[in-house]
Amino acid sequence: MNLLKSVWSWLFRLFPCPTELGLRALGQPGADSPVLVTCNFHGTVQRLRRALCGHDVWLLVAQSKGVNVWCAAGGDELNTDSVVSALKTSGLERKLEHRRLILPPLAAPGVSASELAERTGWKPRWGPVRAADLPRYLADGCQRSEPMKRVTYDWKERLDTGLGSLFPFYLFGALLFLAFRSAWLPHYLLAGAASFLAFMLLCPWLPGRAGFVKALALDLVLGAGWLANELLLGWSWLGTGLLFALVATMVWGSELGGLSSTLRSEFDPMAARMGIGAIGNTRFAGTLRTDLLIGKRALVCERSQCSGCRACHEICPLGLWRLDEERKPVQRDARACTACTACVKQCPSGALQAWPASPDSSDSVS
Amino acid sequence: MLSYVYMKLLEGRPESYDRRMDRLSRGRVRAAKRALADEVPRGSQVLEIGCGAGELACKLLERGCIVLGFDASAAMVEAAQAHVADGGLQGFEARQMGVEAMDQLPAARFDAVVSTLVFSELSDDERRYALAQAARVLRPGGLLLVADEVWPRARARRWLHGAARAPLALSAYLVSRSSSRPLEDLPTELASLGFELLEERRSQGDAFCLVVGRLGEAGSS
Repeated sequence: MNLLKSVWSWLFRLFPCPTELGLRALGQPGADSPVLVTCNFHGTVQRLRRALCGHDVWLLVAQSKGVNVWCAAGGDELNTDSVVSALKTSGLERKLEHRRLILPPLAAPGVSASELAERTGWKPRWGPVRAADLPRYLADGCQRSEPMKRVTYDWKERLDTGLGSLFPFYLFGALLFLAFRSAWLPHYLLAGAASFLAFMLLCPWLPGRAGFVKALALDLVLGAGWLANELLLGWSWLGTGLLFALVATMVWGSELGGLSSTLRSEFDPMAARMGIGAIGNTRFAGTLRTDLLIGKRALVCERSQCSGCRACHEICPLGLWRLDEERKPVQRDARACTACTACVKQCPSGALQAWPASPDSSDSVS
Repeated sequence: MLSYVYMKLLEGRPESYDRRMDRLSRGRVRAAKRALADEVPRGSQVLEIGCGAGELACKLLERGCIVLGFDASAAMVEAAQAHVADGGLQGFEARQMGVEAMDQLPAARFDAVVSTLVFSELSDDERRYALAQAARVLRPGGLLLVADEVWPRARARRWLHGAARAPLALSAYLVSRSSSRPLEDLPTELASLGFELLEERRSQGDAFCLVVGRLGEAGSS
């Protein structure tokens, strides 16, 4: 059952895969062992178990509705209330002599460290972005090196998240062919897999920022290949395969924006522009994130309120904040900002604010 | 059983939640709430865990009780307040909070703590915490009344119930990202907290239960 859930949470991570909330003892933790907070997505808990094999730590699993840390925090499913609830109901304080918590930094759009400290008396600090860095982070006395603070999206991560998120679409297509045109199924399977690999591996070098623009670029190459085949070779199996690859690439491209915390969401602003305010309980229009993405609001630093605490610099997953000579934050590359709003959430003085965008707002930092 | 899926969807429409739930359950949920309300002594100070859209609170208020209800959903709290106001009833306070905030409530304050279809939605930790807090806020001799989904006792019936609800629970989870689990052994849990079991009334194929426990005179253990 556990293996089945692990496979599901990897290949179907678009869907929630919850695990039991509460406290887990990894190894043989004691009263002075570190406490790591995470979400209740099965795949994340398993990944942490693997990364922390041989370590004695407490793992506190907080409510995220079965969704991974980044997506749940962005959707307000993993928030300060979730962690407060997990702390109180797990009885963790009775097992410990300290009150230190290690939070996943990708939870920063949802979990406010300062509010958590104020409400519970616990002392939260941010851990490394990647589970694989946890052993070194713990060995270094819970100090984060610069790479531990920032997200990356290398080819292994692209294949991992791509496969995990796009496999349901691939499977759906295969089932359609199986039901209606089974003779074309091998063409589809091969073309779908090849286009996926080509798109995910070449992604950083394809022109454009939006996923569908990158997909269009790859489709131009595929289209040229199809045309050349029609004119020169006339191999029907190749022509069919290239046509399938053209369509599949557009699917991979349209999903790209949701695959990594290094990328901007493309769906939310598109839905807002199309007048789709919400689907079910999920809101698109009117959220801070969407307003920032569509340029309706802009981040502004109220310099008089800023204490220069560096919280924004520490938490930005892309490392986009630097401090000027007065120790006030300045955003290095506003175009790269994914509008995750972690900096706004973690600003303890409320100096980082979102104001209606106007051309003459001189303090605007985005 | 399809109502289970729909119930999760209805939680997003608090203003009509009680009315639609009543229609879907063919009156069973309303009957369970009425049965629970009838067990609460008139004029009691009552805490309702998960007040939803306020149907049970209204029944208790009609019995002259003073009710403090809370719900994690702000929309449900609003709906409950509107429901009570529509009925012209007095003595109701609703708060938006989860069970983790029960430690903010004063100790030994209430004559009764009531809850319908909430404990099955909590994790094990949350349920244990909420029950312990219920014992803390009850006066010695106070009543805890819980109406909720439970596992049938007979093995065959239990298996059938599990098989029948599994696809529906999965569908509900995919739609609403929340689900529920039938309670395992509430009477034993209550006994460990110092409650004397007064009643365990099973219904709906042994899969629904009204449990009434009385806190010992010494208070919570």
